[in-house]
Amino acid sequence: MHILHLMNANQRDANVAIHSVRHISEISQGVPGKELNFLRYLQATPNGLHESLSATCGEEYSQALIDGDPEIDLDLIGRTVGPTTTVYLSATGDVMHAAPEVVDVLYAPDKSEKERRAAEDTPANVREDVPVQWTGRKMSKTDVICRFAFKRTIQLQHVDGLTYDFLYAMAKELHDENVLVLVAGGETGKEPLVMQRNGIPYRGFLEGRIDGEKYQLLLHLSNMELKRFE
Amino acid sequence: MASNIIVQIGSEVSEFSLKKLERAKLYGKRRRLNLDLDGQPCTRAELTHDGSLLIKSGMTSQGYFDEGRNWIPRSELVGIDTAGNLVEKVPSTLGVTQDLEGPVPVEEVLDLAITSVYMLDAVEVAPSLAESLDQGDTFRFRFNYRADYHAECAYLVKNSEGFFVLVGSPTTPEWCELERVAVDTGEEESILDDDLDFDMF
Repeated sequence: MHILHLMNANQRDANVAIHSVRHISEISQGVPGKELNFLRYLQATPNGLHESLSATCGEEYSQALIDGDPEIDLDLIGRTVGPTTTVYLSATGDVMHAAPEVVDVLYAPDKSEKERRAAEDTPANVREDVPVQWTGRKMSKTDVICRFAFKRTIQLQHVDGLTYDFLYAMAKELHDENVLVLVAGGETGKEPLVMQRNGIPYRGFLEGRIDGEKYQLLLHLSNMELKRFE
Repeated sequence: MASNIIVQIGSEVSEFSLKKLERAKLYGKRRRLNLDLDGQPCTRAELTHDGSLLIKSGMTSQGYFDEGRNWIPRSELVGIDTAGNLVEKVPSTLGVTQDLEGPVPVEEVLDLAITSVYMLDAVEVAPSLAESLDQGDTFRFRFNYRADYHAECAYLVKNSEGFFVLVGSPTTPEWCELERVAVDTGEEESILDDDLDFDMF
Protein backbone atom coordinates (compact mmCIF):
# COMPACT_ATOMS: atom_id res chain seq x y z
CA MET A 1 0.00 0.00 0.00
CA HIS A 2 1.37 3.42 -0.94
CA ILE A 3 1.02 6.18 1.62
CA LEU A 4 0.63 9.93 1.20
CA HIS A 5 1.25 12.28 4.12
CA LEU A 6 -1.28 15.07 3.62
CA MET A 7 -2.13 18.26 5.49
CA ASN A 8 -5.42 20.09 5.07
CA ALA A 9 -6.14 23.81 5.06
CA ASN A 10 -6.48 23.76 8.88
CA GLN A 11 -2.94 22.41 9.34
CA ARG A 12 -4.19 18.94 10.35
CA ASP A 13 -2.23 16.10 8.81
CA ALA A 14 -2.66 12.36 8.34
CA ASN A 15 -1.24 9.43 6.42
CA VAL A 16 -3.68 8.11 3.84
CA ALA A 17 -3.60 5.36 1.23
CA ILE A 18 -3.13 6.12 -2.45
CA HIS A 19 -3.50 4.11 -5.63
CA SER A 20 -3.28 4.89 -9.30
CA VAL A 21 -6.42 5.39 -11.38
CA ARG A 22 -5.89 3.54 -14.63
CA HIS A 23 -7.71 2.66 -17.80
CA ILE A 24 -7.96 -1.11 -18.19
CA SER A 25 -8.21 -2.10 -21.82
CA GLU A 26 -10.81 -4.72 -22.69
CA ILE A 27 -9.09 -5.55 -25.95
CA SER A 28 -5.89 -7.51 -26.36
CA GLN A 29 -4.07 -8.74 -29.44
CA GLY A 30 -3.55 -12.41 -30.12
CA VAL A 31 -4.41 -15.38 -32.32
CA PRO A 32 -7.74 -17.11 -31.62
CA GLY A 33 -7.23 -20.50 -29.99
CA LYS A 34 -3.55 -20.00 -29.28
CA GLU A 35 -1.81 -19.00 -26.12
CA LEU A 36 0.97 -16.59 -26.97
CA ASN A 37 3.99 -15.56 -24.98
CA PHE A 38 5.88 -12.34 -25.54
CA LEU A 39 9.56 -13.23 -25.41
CA ARG A 40 12.86 -11.49 -25.83
CA TYR A 41 15.41 -13.49 -27.76
CA LEU A 42 18.95 -13.24 -29.10
CA GLN A 43 19.00 -12.19 -32.75
CA ALA A 44 22.73 -11.58 -33.12
CA THR A 45 26.00 -12.35 -31.36
CA PRO A 46 28.87 -9.85 -31.12
CA ASN A 47 30.33 -11.42 -34.29
CA GLY A 48 27.09 -10.71 -36.13
CA LEU A 49 27.00 -6.97 -35.42
CA HIS A 50 27.86 -4.46 -38.13
CA GLU A 51 31.24 -3.45 -36.69
CA SER A 52 32.44 -7.02 -36.52
CA LEU A 53 31.08 -8.02 -39.93
CA SER A 54 32.57 -4.98 -41.66
CA ALA A 55 35.93 -5.72 -40.02
CA THR A 56 35.98 -9.35 -41.10
CA CYS A 57 34.12 -9.24 -44.43
CA GLY A 58 34.65 -5.63 -45.56
CA GLU A 59 32.13 -2.80 -45.81
CA GLU A 60 30.16 -4.46 -48.62
CA TYR A 61 29.37 -7.71 -46.86
CA SER A 62 25.84 -8.36 -48.11
CA GLN A 63 26.97 -11.10 -50.53
CA ALA A 64 29.01 -12.70 -47.74
CA LEU A 65 25.83 -12.92 -45.63
CA ILE A 66 24.02 -14.68 -48.49
CA ASP A 67 26.89 -17.03 -49.27
CA GLY A 68 28.01 -18.12 -45.83
CA ASP A 69 25.69 -16.85 -43.08
CA PRO A 70 28.66 -15.57 -41.02
CA GLU A 71 26.27 -13.60 -38.81
CA ILE A 72 24.42 -16.66 -37.55
CA ASP A 73 25.67 -18.61 -34.56
CA LEU A 74 23.43 -21.67 -34.50
CA ASP A 75 24.23 -22.37 -30.84
CA LEU A 76 23.02 -18.98 -29.63
CA ILE A 77 20.66 -17.29 -32.09
CA GLY A 78 17.05 -17.62 -31.01
CA ARG A 79 17.95 -18.31 -27.41
CA THR A 80 15.48 -16.69 -24.99
CA VAL A 81 16.99 -13.89 -22.96
CA GLY A 82 16.04 -14.04 -19.30
CA PRO A 83 16.99 -11.69 -16.45
CA THR A 84 20.18 -9.76 -16.99
CA THR A 85 22.44 -7.39 -15.07
CA THR A 86 23.19 -3.94 -16.40
CA VAL A 87 26.84 -3.20 -17.12
CA TYR A 88 28.42 -0.14 -18.66
CA LEU A 89 30.92 -0.16 -21.48
CA SER A 90 33.58 2.51 -21.90
CA ALA A 91 33.78 4.51 -25.12
CA THR A 92 36.27 1.90 -26.36
CA GLY A 93 33.77 -0.89 -25.72
CA ASP A 94 35.39 -2.41 -22.62
CA VAL A 95 33.32 -3.44 -19.61
CA MET A 96 33.71 -0.85 -16.85
CA HIS A 97 34.83 -2.35 -13.55
CA ALA A 98 34.46 0.93 -11.65
CA ALA A 99 31.31 2.97 -11.25
CA PRO A 100 30.97 5.55 -14.03
CA GLU A 101 30.90 9.26 -13.30
CA VAL A 102 27.30 10.41 -13.57
CA VAL A 103 26.33 13.85 -14.92
CA ASP A 104 23.02 15.49 -15.70
CA VAL A 105 22.83 17.23 -19.06
CA LEU A 106 20.15 19.87 -19.54
CA TYR A 107 18.85 20.48 -23.05
CA ALA A 108 16.88 23.51 -24.26
CA PRO A 109 13.64 23.01 -26.21
CA ASP A 110 15.68 23.42 -29.42
CA LYS A 111 17.73 20.38 -28.24
CA SER A 112 20.91 22.44 -27.71
CA GLU A 113 22.89 21.60 -24.57
CA LYS A 114 22.34 24.28 -21.90
CA GLU A 115 24.22 22.95 -18.93
CA ARG A 116 26.15 19.94 -17.69
CA ARG A 117 26.49 19.33 -13.96
CA ALA A 118 27.22 16.60 -11.44
CA ALA A 119 24.16 14.40 -11.04
CA GLU A 120 22.07 14.93 -7.94
CA ASP A 121 19.43 12.54 -6.72
CA THR A 122 16.00 14.04 -6.15
CA PRO A 123 14.35 12.59 -3.04
CA ALA A 124 10.64 11.78 -2.95
CA ASN A 125 8.59 14.24 -0.91
CA VAL A 126 5.16 12.69 -0.45
CA ARG A 127 5.81 10.16 2.31
CA GLU A 128 8.19 12.15 4.46
CA ASP A 129 7.90 13.85 7.82
CA VAL A 130 6.88 17.01 6.03
CA PRO A 131 3.37 16.53 4.63
CA VAL A 132 2.02 17.50 1.25
CA GLN A 133 0.12 20.73 1.89
CA TRP A 134 -2.74 22.71 0.47
CA THR A 135 -1.26 25.83 -1.05
CA GLY A 136 -4.48 27.77 -0.75
CA ARG A 137 -4.46 28.34 -4.49
CA LYS A 138 -7.76 27.14 -5.88
CA MET A 139 -8.68 27.02 -9.54
CA SER A 140 -11.95 26.31 -11.29
CA LYS A 141 -12.24 22.92 -12.95
CA THR A 142 -12.71 24.53 -16.35
CA ASP A 143 -9.58 26.62 -15.89
CA VAL A 144 -7.55 23.57 -14.91
CA ILE A 145 -8.56 21.35 -17.84
CA CYS A 146 -7.89 24.17 -20.31
CA ARG A 147 -4.44 24.96 -18.90
CA PHE A 148 -2.82 21.65 -17.90
CA ALA A 149 -2.34 18.19 -19.34
CA PHE A 150 -2.48 15.51 -16.67
CA LYS A 151 -0.09 12.62 -16.85
CA ARG A 152 -1.61 10.48 -14.12
CA THR A 153 -4.24 10.51 -11.42
CA ILE A 154 -3.82 9.16 -7.90
CA GLN A 155 -6.87 8.37 -5.78
CA LEU A 156 -6.71 8.97 -2.03
CA GLN A 157 -8.46 6.57 0.34
CA HIS A 158 -8.96 6.49 4.09
CA VAL A 159 -7.23 3.90 6.26
CA ASP A 160 -9.57 4.23 9.28
CA GLY A 161 -12.60 6.15 10.50
CA LEU A 162 -10.65 9.26 11.41
CA THR A 163 -9.04 9.57 7.99
CA TYR A 164 -12.47 8.99 6.41
CA ASP A 165 -13.69 12.17 8.16
CA PHE A 166 -10.47 13.96 7.19
CA LEU A 167 -10.72 13.08 3.48
CA TYR A 168 -14.51 13.39 3.23
CA ALA A 169 -14.40 16.94 4.59
CA MET A 170 -11.70 17.82 2.10
CA ALA A 171 -13.65 16.31 -0.81
CA LYS A 172 -16.83 18.11 0.28
CA GLU A 173 -15.15 21.50 0.47
CA LEU A 174 -13.70 21.14 -3.03
CA HIS A 175 -16.95 19.68 -4.40
CA ASP A 176 -19.07 22.48 -2.96
CA GLU A 177 -16.75 25.17 -4.30
CA ASN A 178 -16.39 23.34 -7.66
CA VAL A 179 -12.63 23.91 -7.64
CA LEU A 180 -9.35 22.05 -7.49
CA VAL A 181 -6.68 23.06 -5.00
CA LEU A 182 -2.99 23.09 -5.82
CA VAL A 183 -1.02 20.97 -3.36
CA ALA A 184 2.73 21.02 -2.91
CA GLY A 185 5.50 19.35 -0.92
CA GLY A 186 8.75 20.10 0.87
CA GLU A 187 9.59 22.34 3.83
CA THR A 188 8.37 25.43 2.00
CA GLY A 189 5.11 23.80 0.96
CA LYS A 190 5.73 25.09 -2.54
CA GLU A 191 7.77 22.34 -4.16
CA PRO A 192 6.35 20.13 -6.90
CA LEU A 193 5.46 16.61 -5.84
CA VAL A 194 8.05 13.88 -6.38
CA MET A 195 6.35 10.54 -5.83
CA GLN A 196 9.52 8.43 -5.78
CA ARG A 197 13.28 8.99 -5.63
CA ASN A 198 14.41 10.61 -8.87
CA GLY A 199 10.80 10.68 -10.00
CA ILE A 200 9.24 13.28 -12.27
CA PRO A 201 8.30 16.50 -10.41
CA TYR A 202 4.59 17.13 -10.80
CA ARG A 203 2.20 19.92 -9.98
CA GLY A 204 -0.60 18.29 -7.99
CA PHE A 205 -4.22 19.37 -8.22
CA LEU A 206 -6.63 17.87 -5.70
CA GLU A 207 -10.21 17.33 -6.83
CA GLY A 208 -13.07 16.33 -4.55
CA ARG A 209 -16.42 14.74 -5.36
CA ILE A 210 -19.12 13.57 -2.99
CA ASP A 211 -22.28 11.52 -3.40
CA GLY A 212 -24.12 11.33 -0.10
CA GLU A 213 -21.68 9.74 2.36
CA LYS A 214 -19.38 8.56 -0.43
CA TYR A 215 -16.44 10.56 -1.71
CA GLN A 216 -13.73 10.61 -4.35
CA LEU A 217 -10.55 12.55 -3.71
CA LEU A 218 -8.37 12.59 -6.79
CA LEU A 219 -4.86 13.98 -7.09
CA HIS A 220 -4.29 14.93 -10.72
CA LEU A 221 -0.60 15.21 -11.58
CA SER A 222 0.67 17.44 -14.36
CA ASN A 223 4.12 18.24 -15.67
CA MET A 224 3.00 20.10 -18.78
CA GLU A 225 0.94 23.16 -19.54
CA LEU A 226 -1.19 23.51 -22.63
CA LYS A 227 1.06 26.00 -24.41
CA ARG A 228 2.25 26.41 -27.95
CA PHE A 229 5.84 25.66 -28.92
CA GLU A 230 7.76 27.25 -31.77
CA MET B 1 2.39 14.62 -42.46
CA ALA B 2 -0.76 13.52 -40.71
CA SER B 3 -4.16 14.36 -42.17
CA ASN B 4 -6.24 16.97 -40.40
CA ILE B 5 -8.78 16.58 -37.62
CA ILE B 6 -12.24 17.24 -39.05
CA VAL B 7 -15.19 17.50 -36.69
CA GLN B 8 -18.85 18.27 -37.20
CA ILE B 9 -21.46 19.52 -34.79
CA GLY B 10 -24.93 19.94 -36.26
CA SER B 11 -24.34 20.96 -39.84
CA GLU B 12 -21.17 22.92 -39.08
CA VAL B 13 -17.77 21.48 -39.91
CA SER B 14 -14.46 22.57 -38.39
CA GLU B 15 -10.99 21.48 -39.43
CA PHE B 16 -7.62 21.63 -37.66
CA SER B 17 -4.07 20.58 -38.45
CA LEU B 18 -2.25 18.98 -35.53
CA LYS B 19 1.22 18.75 -33.98
CA LYS B 20 2.08 16.55 -31.02
CA LEU B 21 2.78 18.50 -27.86
CA GLU B 22 5.48 17.10 -25.60
CA ARG B 23 7.10 18.41 -22.47
CA ALA B 24 10.58 18.49 -24.03
CA LYS B 25 9.33 20.80 -26.79
CA LEU B 26 8.13 23.34 -24.20
CA TYR B 27 10.73 23.16 -21.46
CA GLY B 28 13.65 21.11 -22.80
CA LYS B 29 14.75 17.96 -21.03
CA ARG B 30 17.25 16.51 -18.61
CA ARG B 31 19.28 13.46 -19.50
CA ARG B 32 21.51 11.52 -17.15
CA LEU B 33 24.81 10.47 -18.70
CA ASN B 34 27.34 7.92 -17.46
CA LEU B 35 30.94 8.81 -18.30
CA ASP B 36 33.97 6.52 -18.43
CA LEU B 37 37.35 7.28 -16.86
CA ASP B 38 38.25 9.46 -19.87
CA GLY B 39 35.05 11.50 -19.53
CA GLN B 40 33.49 9.91 -22.60
CA PRO B 41 29.86 8.67 -22.59
CA CYS B 42 29.46 5.02 -21.66
CA THR B 43 27.11 2.68 -23.44
CA ARG B 44 24.76 0.42 -21.56
CA ALA B 45 24.93 -3.33 -22.03
CA GLU B 46 23.62 -6.40 -20.23
CA LEU B 47 25.27 -9.47 -18.81
CA THR B 48 23.27 -12.68 -18.59
CA HIS B 49 23.01 -14.01 -15.06
CA ASP B 50 25.22 -16.99 -15.86
CA GLY B 51 27.85 -14.52 -17.05
CA SER B 52 28.21 -16.28 -20.38
CA LEU B 53 27.08 -13.52 -22.70
CA LEU B 54 27.51 -9.78 -22.92
CA ILE B 55 24.48 -8.38 -24.72
CA LYS B 56 25.04 -5.13 -26.61
CA SER B 57 22.56 -2.89 -28.36
CA GLY B 58 21.13 -4.59 -31.46
CA MET B 59 21.71 -8.15 -30.27
CA THR B 60 18.17 -8.88 -29.09
CA SER B 61 14.70 -8.69 -30.49
CA GLN B 62 11.29 -9.59 -29.10
CA GLY B 63 8.08 -11.03 -30.39
CA TYR B 64 5.14 -13.33 -29.86
CA PHE B 65 5.59 -17.11 -29.79
CA ASP B 66 3.00 -19.89 -29.51
CA GLU B 67 3.15 -22.94 -27.22
CA GLY B 68 5.37 -24.73 -29.73
CA ARG B 69 7.83 -21.83 -29.69
CA ASN B 70 6.84 -20.82 -33.24
CA TRP B 71 7.24 -17.13 -33.97
CA ILE B 72 3.96 -15.35 -34.73
CA PRO B 73 4.33 -12.30 -37.02
CA ARG B 74 2.53 -9.19 -35.84
CA SER B 75 0.49 -9.20 -39.06
CA GLU B 76 -1.24 -12.40 -37.82
CA LEU B 77 -2.37 -10.81 -34.55
CA VAL B 78 -6.00 -9.74 -34.29
CA GLY B 79 -8.00 -7.86 -31.67
CA ILE B 80 -9.80 -10.03 -29.10
CA ASP B 81 -12.16 -8.78 -26.39
CA THR B 82 -12.45 -10.14 -22.86
CA ALA B 83 -15.14 -12.61 -23.98
CA GLY B 84 -12.82 -13.99 -26.65
CA ASN B 85 -14.66 -12.38 -29.55
CA LEU B 86 -12.81 -10.94 -32.52
CA VAL B 87 -12.74 -7.14 -32.65
CA GLU B 88 -12.83 -5.18 -35.89
CA LYS B 89 -9.89 -2.90 -36.62
CA VAL B 90 -10.77 0.78 -36.19
CA PRO B 91 -9.51 2.90 -39.09
CA SER B 92 -7.68 6.16 -38.53
CA THR B 93 -10.04 9.03 -37.83
CA LEU B 94 -7.70 11.65 -39.29
CA GLY B 95 -9.04 13.22 -42.46
CA VAL B 96 -12.47 11.73 -41.77
CA THR B 97 -15.27 13.84 -40.32
CA GLN B 98 -16.08 12.87 -36.74
CA ASP B 99 -19.17 13.82 -34.76
CA LEU B 100 -18.42 16.35 -32.06
CA GLU B 101 -20.40 15.87 -28.86
CA GLY B 102 -20.82 18.32 -26.05
CA PRO B 103 -20.31 20.45 -24.15
CA VAL B 104 -19.30 17.58 -21.85
CA PRO B 105 -19.02 17.71 -18.03
CA VAL B 106 -15.61 18.84 -16.81
CA GLU B 107 -15.29 15.67 -14.68
CA GLU B 108 -15.32 13.60 -17.87
CA VAL B 109 -12.13 15.32 -19.00
CA LEU B 110 -10.57 14.98 -15.55
CA ASP B 111 -11.29 11.22 -15.69
CA LEU B 112 -9.37 10.85 -18.95
CA ALA B 113 -6.12 8.85 -18.78
CA ILE B 114 -4.26 11.04 -21.25
CA THR B 115 -1.94 9.30 -23.68
CA SER B 116 -1.16 12.22 -26.01
CA VAL B 117 -1.76 15.92 -26.42
CA TYR B 118 -1.91 17.80 -29.71
CA MET B 119 -1.56 21.49 -30.46
CA LEU B 120 -3.98 22.52 -33.21
CA ASP B 121 -3.93 25.13 -35.93
CA ALA B 122 -7.37 26.07 -37.15
CA VAL B 123 -7.99 25.66 -40.86
CA GLU B 124 -11.68 26.42 -40.46
CA VAL B 125 -13.66 26.83 -37.24
CA ALA B 126 -17.43 27.11 -37.07
CA PRO B 127 -18.33 30.41 -35.33
CA SER B 128 -20.68 28.76 -32.84
CA LEU B 129 -18.00 26.24 -31.87
CA ALA B 130 -15.38 28.98 -31.44
CA GLU B 131 -17.76 30.93 -29.22
CA SER B 132 -18.55 27.90 -27.09
CA LEU B 133 -14.86 27.00 -26.68
CA ASP B 134 -14.08 30.61 -25.72
CA GLN B 135 -16.53 30.21 -22.83
CA GLY B 136 -14.57 27.22 -21.55
CA ASP B 137 -16.74 24.46 -23.00
CA THR B 138 -15.17 21.15 -23.94
CA PHE B 139 -16.20 18.77 -26.70
CA ARG B 140 -15.60 15.06 -27.25
CA PHE B 141 -14.96 13.09 -30.44
CA ARG B 142 -13.49 9.74 -31.47
CA PHE B 143 -9.81 9.75 -32.28
CA ASN B 144 -7.51 7.14 -33.74
CA TYR B 145 -4.17 8.37 -35.08
CA ARG B 146 -3.56 5.15 -37.01
CA ALA B 147 -5.68 2.05 -37.61
CA ASP B 148 -5.69 -0.31 -34.65
CA TYR B 149 -8.12 -2.16 -32.40
CA HIS B 150 -8.81 0.60 -29.93
CA ALA B 151 -10.18 4.05 -30.79
CA GLU B 152 -9.53 6.62 -28.10
CA CYS B 153 -11.53 9.58 -26.84
CA ALA B 154 -10.42 13.08 -27.70
CA TYR B 155 -11.44 16.32 -26.03
CA LEU B 156 -11.21 19.67 -27.78
CA VAL B 157 -10.32 22.61 -25.50
CA LYS B 158 -9.22 26.19 -26.02
CA ASN B 159 -7.25 28.64 -23.92
CA SER B 160 -5.43 31.93 -24.53
CA GLU B 161 -2.66 30.04 -26.37
CA GLY B 162 -4.98 28.34 -28.85
CA PHE B 163 -6.74 25.06 -29.52
CA PHE B 164 -5.60 21.75 -28.02
CA VAL B 165 -6.78 18.16 -28.10
CA LEU B 166 -6.38 15.79 -25.16
CA VAL B 167 -6.42 12.14 -26.25
CA GLY B 168 -6.78 9.10 -24.01
CA SER B 169 -9.07 6.53 -22.51
CA PRO B 170 -11.72 7.03 -19.82
CA THR B 171 -11.17 5.82 -16.28
CA THR B 172 -13.70 5.16 -13.53
CA PRO B 173 -12.50 6.14 -10.05
CA GLU B 174 -14.12 4.17 -7.22
CA TRP B 175 -16.39 5.77 -4.66
CA CYS B 176 -14.93 5.54 -1.14
CA GLU B 177 -17.27 4.61 1.70
CA LEU B 178 -16.69 4.61 5.46
CA GLU B 179 -16.93 0.81 5.69
CA ARG B 180 -14.42 0.20 2.91
CA VAL B 181 -11.06 0.98 4.44
CA ALA B 182 -7.86 0.68 2.41
CA VAL B 183 -6.14 -2.54 3.45
CA ASP B 184 -2.40 -3.11 3.45
CA THR B 185 -1.94 -6.44 1.67
CA GLY B 186 1.83 -6.17 1.98
CA GLU B 187 2.09 -5.88 -1.79
CA GLU B 188 3.26 -2.59 -3.21
CA GLU B 189 1.11 -1.91 -6.25
CA SER B 190 3.30 -0.45 -8.95
CA ILE B 191 1.63 2.91 -9.33
CA LEU B 192 4.65 4.77 -10.53
CA ASP B 193 6.34 2.55 -13.10
CA ASP B 194 7.69 4.64 -16.01
CA ASP B 195 7.92 7.59 -13.65
CA LEU B 196 11.68 8.11 -13.48
CA ASP B 197 12.81 11.50 -14.60
CA PHE B 198 15.96 10.51 -16.41
CA ASP B 199 16.47 9.38 -19.94
CA MET B 200 18.99 6.87 -18.68
CA PHE B 201 17.28 3.51 -18.83
